[in-house]
Amino acid sequence: MNKKIVSGFAIAAAATLALGAVATAPANAAGKKEVTLAFQGPLTGPDAQLGQDQFPGAQWAIELYNATNPKTKVKLIKADSQCDGTVAANIAPGVAANKAVIGVIGTSCSGEARNSFPAYRAGGLTMVAPSASAVSLTDPKAPDRGFPIFHRVVAHDGFQAPALVRYATKGVTGPKIYLVDDQTTYGAGLIKYAMAPAKKLGVVGTDSVPRGTADWTSVASKVKSAGANVVIYGGYTVEAAKFFKALRDGGYTGILAAGDGVNTSDFPELAGKAAEGVRLTAADVPFENLLTKDELASFTKVTGVKVPGLYSTTAYNAARVFLTCIEQGKLTRSAIQLCVNSSTFKGAGGSSIKFNRYGDIIGGADVGGYLVKNGKIGYDAIA
Amino acid sequence: MSKLSNFNLRDTGAAIWAGWSRPVRTVFVIAVVVIIGLVPFAPKWGPTSFLNTPITSFENVLVYPVGMFVLMALGLNIVVGKSGLLDLGYIAFFAIGAYTQAIMSTLHGWNTWEILPFGIMFAMLSGVLLGLPALRLRGDYLAIITLGFGEIVRIVALNLSVTGGPNGIAGIPNPPTIFGFEFNLLFPEHFFWLVLSMILLVIWMIRRFTVRRPGRAWEAIRQDEDVAALMGVNTLIYKLWSFVIGAAVAGAAGVIYASKVMVISPDMFKFDVSILILACVVFGGIGNIWGVVLGASILAYLPERIRFISDARQVIFGLVLIIMMNLRPDGLLPRKKREKIQEKRTM
Amino acid sequence: MNFSVVTSQFWSLALQGLALGLIYSLVSLGYTMVYGVLRLINFANSEVFMLGTFTVVWIEIHFLNHPVASEPLTGIELIYTLVIALVGSMIACAVLAVLVEIVAYRRLRSRGASRLASLISAIGVSIFLMESMRMYTESRPQTAPRLLEKWSFGEIAGANFRIDTMLAIVAPIIIFVILDRFVTKSRLGKAIRAVSMSEENAKLMGIDINRVISMTFLIGGLTTGAAAFLYTTVYENTVFNVGFNMGIAAFTAAVLGGIGNLRGAFYGGLALGMLEQFASAILGSQWKAVTVFVVLVLVLLFKPSGLFGEAVQQTRT
Repeated sequence: MNKKIVSGFAIAAAATLALGAVATAPANAAGKKEVTLAFQGPLTGPDAQLGQDQFPGAQWAIELYNATNPKTKVKLIKADSQCDGTVAANIAPGVAANKAVIGVIGTSCSGEARNSFPAYRAGGLTMVAPSASAVSLTDPKAPDRGFPIFHRVVAHDGFQAPALVRYATKGVTGPKIYLVDDQTTYGAGLIKYAMAPAKKLGVVGTDSVPRGTADWTSVASKVKSAGANVVIYGGYTVEAAKFFKALRDGGYTGILAAGDGVNTSDFPELAGKAAEGVRLTAADVPFENLLTKDELASFTKVTGVKVPGLYSTTAYNAARVFLTCIEQGKLTRSAIQLCVNSSTFKGAGGSSIKFNRYGDIIGGADVGGYLVKNGKIGYDAIA
Repeated sequence: MSKLSNFNLRDTGAAIWAGWSRPVRTVFVIAVVVIIGLVPFAPKWGPTSFLNTPITSFENVLVYPVGMFVLMALGLNIVVGKSGLLDLGYIAFFAIGAYTQAIMSTLHGWNTWEILPFGIMFAMLSGVLLGLPALRLRGDYLAIITLGFGEIVRIVALNLSVTGGPNGIAGIPNPPTIFGFEFNLLFPEHFFWLVLSMILLVIWMIRRFTVRRPGRAWEAIRQDEDVAALMGVNTLIYKLWSFVIGAAVAGAAGVIYASKVMVISPDMFKFDVSILILACVVFGGIGNIWGVVLGASILAYLPERIRFISDARQVIFGLVLIIMMNLRPDGLLPRKKREKIQEKRTM
Repeated sequence: MNFSVVTSQFWSLALQGLALGLIYSLVSLGYTMVYGVLRLINFANSEVFMLGTFTVVWIEIHFLNHPVASEPLTGIELIYTLVIALVGSMIACAVLAVLVEIVAYRRLRSRGASRLASLISAIGVSIFLMESMRMYTESRPQTAPRLLEKWSFGEIAGANFRIDTMLAIVAPIIIFVILDRFVTKSRLGKAIRAVSMSEENAKLMGIDINRVISMTFLIGGLTTGAAAFLYTTVYENTVFNVGFNMGIAAFTAAVLGGIGNLRGAFYGGLALGMLEQFASAILGSQWKAVTVFVVLVLVLLFKPSGLFGEAVQQTRT
């Protein structure tokens, strides 16, 4: 491609050219009949568990599809962006430049997503995220929105946070809520959207405690002196465990609640007795609840994972979105984008998925309420 | 092993350089710059395709981390290498540049070239604010204060609404076209050339300083501060200058970085990056420009090149640091012991 | 701003600040002692601490067979379990600290390399240890079983005198008293002080410098190991990057008190612990680190070598 010609156009025009170049690529490779999807999320690094839990969901969906002996086989590649925007800013152009890739399952984190948008937008590459839940990603007015390439099969924090407040205060008369976040994109975002519904019920205090803090006793003291009876934490497992332990050891007897960042299999073990009765939400219904015994056995056989982790369902759904389009013979980036934007898809357990203009599921995805009982996180009810 | 530590690439190189006439030198410099300018295309050409980074995009890796690390390592080298001050919070100035670009472009709609002087200015200003109290202290106290400053800048960015809190700032525009070069995602090599020209500019600047009064003052301070003061060098002023010039380089790098990645957030400016850049300087050879450039290029590029071994790559990185420092404690290309005299003759 | 917390929770915050601060003090010894003899920031000490916490968890779960969900112990069993964990952690940390000295410092020192070269090789050791642990644990946090039931001696003025808090206060004080005696009275202690005053003169006096430096790292490792045990007993979990924040805090404490100075580390740690507790109660936890550093800058401006001054600054530059 002559650079002089291209440089005269704006980004959009250049993107169209790039798209055109991409569109011809699969035609050349038509004999092979294989297309590639990329899974982008944290597979190593401090947040690796999030991505490692999701990957099997997508992997299983694709193995099932390939096992039906379709005309076009699908290959799944890993793009490990470590839940880190800096890394994602370098990974995404690499994925976008790989002409075989026609869709991205991901990203897992919102920070990754925002730093990936510029590259994917320029490359016309469609994303379907299993767990990036920051509101701004699909906010038409936000500067970091992912329109038109970004979609997600997960409820965003604007849905999850009020549900979390609802679920946390269920059965509490005269709630006195104390909100604590961990100053991350995720944690601070969740608490920001929990603030309004919580204020209606009564907030007695807030705090922001940076991730990595070891000593939570002073926060526990503040919660106690504020007379709170519901504590909602926006953050991740390790800190939640320390915080809730400090609260219980400090004599706090009220309700403890947290969002999906804490809803990991490690949490009950880390928090020990303090985990009992903790109320958690997740914008995800447990995969094993939706699967039959045979399906679960097949899942274990294909992925080597016994119990599907958090967001297996949404990862499976995200993969299904692409697979449905591929089944319909949509094998280029532009055809995939059109298909994802306009079709209706069937997710795990028969749920129906259709995206609105900005990439959210129309009608919103469900938020599940979970309760820790006898050292295990169990699905309780829709929050 | 003894051969490895005795071989002196720097002296050999300097000897060859000294033997050349002016036109030969000019041709050589131009040739080197052109070859480096062609590096973004290396993966597309057979013999050099092994350079390609798996997973990440090579052209982007050349801009950040490689180009930016070289630039910042050069800036930090003025502080650590030239005047011997240990700065553990250098990333703060980079962050200040990046946030200047982010805030001014999204709120006031200015473009990168207009913001660049302001980014540099704010970085320098904060350098003065930090330097005035901190530079009165010696050695390791300076280290902890600069470390603290780095953390303070990050935490303040995390807590203010104008910086977008933990979300940071999104929607930062790319730099507008200049001299027919367009800056956007389709042409990462343009960013590389921009960073390359900034690197050349900084190298030129440092070389000028070195042979003039500030360079001599820094050298004196580094060797013995008390003696330097006794001989009439205003040590505080010159230390402050080195600190502020170092800050300016990082500020400029920050402005360009923000306008390239388009989204910035506080977690991009953590303590680890300060340490990494310091490692670049020491690894390459404190005080020697070419050593620093080489060290930064290797330390920034290596983790990306070995990304396919994902988990183990940081372990290997740590091992490389230990082994290299033990084998060559003065860095890959150490500085000359009698820098002043030699430098005068070669310039 | 929330000053009412100060009046209502003053003694509670002070007691917790004391416990936290004394743990900081123990780790900061690993920095301050090494700084005393080498004039080097021992960057790898944070990873020595990290290894200590994992050693405690490993001893409790695998060596003494108390799985995470096991019930708290009582009586003699509790005491010997804790003692074994403490001694194990101290030994592991001491061995590692000595190894760090050999790998990161010794060769460089014998070649007369610059201090920055040692700093970077120590950072290399630190990265290597932390990332190895990350790989080994697959980034997962590890939980220690609750072996010590957190019963309370009672409350005085709102301060809860809980057994783990008391342990974290009493144990470091004992260690400090012993160490202070040791450094001022024993032969080795005197040798350490001699080296920190002047390495050249110490050498002339027939002191084996390498041995003294090794012993200094060993002592720093022992106290860091004790801190790791207390940390794990009080907070009951650890993760591969636990050393990072602890390292910065302990280093700050050492500088605050006057680096190179044993008593400075003790009071610096205390001051830091208190400062953190009150800052996060009054200003909010997000401003804790900023407050700490602002206070540090102010202290250094008025007392340029820390609250207690450097041990022997004048004799060496």
